[in-house]
Amino acid sequence: MIPALRLDDVSFSYGTVPVLERLSFSVAPGERVALLGKNGAGKSTVVRLIAGLQRPSEGTVWVGDWDTRDCVPEQLAWRVGSVFQHADQQLFARTVRDDVSFGPRALGVGEREVERRTDRALEDLDLTAHAEQHPYDLPPAWRKIAALAGALALEPALLVLDEPTVGLDRALRTRVTRALLDRSAGSVALLVITHDLTFAAETLERGVVLDRGSLACDESLTGLLGDVTRLEPLGLAPPPVAALSAALDLPGRPVRAADAAAALARVARGRLAP
Amino acid sequence: MKSLTLDHASYWYAATDSSALRAVSLDVAQGEVVALVGALGAGASTLLLVAADLAPRVIGGRLEGSVSRHDRSGIVLPTPWTQVSGMAFTVWDEVAFGPANLGWPAHEIARQVDRALERLELVPLASRDPATLSGGELQRVIIAAILAMDPGLVLFDEPAAELDAEGAALLWRLIRLLAKEGKAILLATSALDALPDVADRVVWLEDGAVRAVGTPDLLAEGAACDAGLGTSVATVWRTGGLPAPYPLTVAHAVRGRR
Repeated sequence: MIPALRLDDVSFSYGTVPVLERLSFSVAPGERVALLGKNGAGKSTVVRLIAGLQRPSEGTVWVGDWDTRDCVPEQLAWRVGSVFQHADQQLFARTVRDDVSFGPRALGVGEREVERRTDRALEDLDLTAHAEQHPYDLPPAWRKIAALAGALALEPALLVLDEPTVGLDRALRTRVTRALLDRSAGSVALLVITHDLTFAAETLERGVVLDRGSLACDESLTGLLGDVTRLEPLGLAPPPVAALSAALDLPGRPVRAADAAAALARVARGRLAP
Repeated sequence: MKSLTLDHASYWYAATDSSALRAVSLDVAQGEVVALVGALGAGASTLLLVAADLAPRVIGGRLEGSVSRHDRSGIVLPTPWTQVSGMAFTVWDEVAFGPANLGWPAHEIARQVDRALERLELVPLASRDPATLSGGELQRVIIAAILAMDPGLVLFDEPAAELDAEGAALLWRLIRLLAKEGKAILLATSALDALPDVADRVVWLEDGAVRAVGTPDLLAEGAACDAGLGTSVATVWRTGGLPAPYPLTVAHAVRGRR
């Protein structure tokens, strides 16, 4: 199977400032990958390369079987839905609904299909009540959600999201998790940049960690998030649930809240049993 | 000494009928860190705009009740990239922009800028063009730029949003240090797990009104957990059906087990 995304020995510099160095990894259809690392590690640059806004200095970024060097961004929108770090800057329509429907309409999928995709994306993210509002009348966190809805409405093979949960409360973060799990079950590949490792643990399965532009680690999140000694040198702090599991030595060292709660309940029952 | 006092403050954004804040009474003393928590849209950001004297003075709308400030305030917005002056080609000059506009003598500007850069660990980036910084680096620059103006009341809206683990840890330590130096701090954050180590008091906002005020222990109460405002550890405890009181942090959970 062709990966949804493959970076092949990719290097990139802004002028003389090197940002990425010989970076290689791939994401399979339906796979949920967290792109992690310190501030300035090059994560947002990866998003810009995948969206076709920058070209690699060396190496190749493959989106399916397309070399991004041969594609303009609007062509890549057939396969990639992106939410940028400062998602405010990607909203422009007068209503949230118009903004969300802009993408599929620009793809030319037909008005009825545009409507279906728009409604589904708005519903998935609980935005229906805000659909007729001006995006800039919404607080910044909701604007990010609106931008995410726009990316979902493209119904792309690959979603690339830069810090999608910034400023969201727990209910909305859960909503985003559910929407992304649902899309990934439909074999959409996810690449999500986040500092919110609690969200990563709930939503994603594999961690690709960048350190100063190079690949520092690529493995299952469950293993990585539970291992404090490995996280620290990578500039990551264990999310509280993983830290709790480790500190109490919960069986299976769960990193998701529901799993930890279940493990804790089992341990407590065991202790109360005669 | 109270730095900020709100007395039955209600606020309406321009052209809206429902109030974003409803009869909020709250004070923040010098040397104190007060954290605002709540669901999105509960009013925390609005309260900070009112505290900063931006609402209604700059953005319009209508205020009822009273707001009194003892100190000059500085606010770090949740969109730091919109706070860059655009007038500076280096991080140093960007951080100097605010103090320069306060009309301070050059040596005082330099002293405050150097100190703010050191505190945010930005000295190595001092000569960089702000336009080339990553999101987290830029967020630290904006925090430095606000602190360089030496406000007595510092208002933070999601200050850790763009920061990595090290940057966030640095920020939370710095906030405690600022309070120790006598500054009054009011912050809105969804980073609930940081608050036990950072906040003296937690104010729970719901639909624009104050629902509860307490120590960070408030974040281990069942009602807070059910509203999505419990710490991760307390929420796991409640979800697992274990008896209250719930531990607030991993350290509390470990202590409770021994």
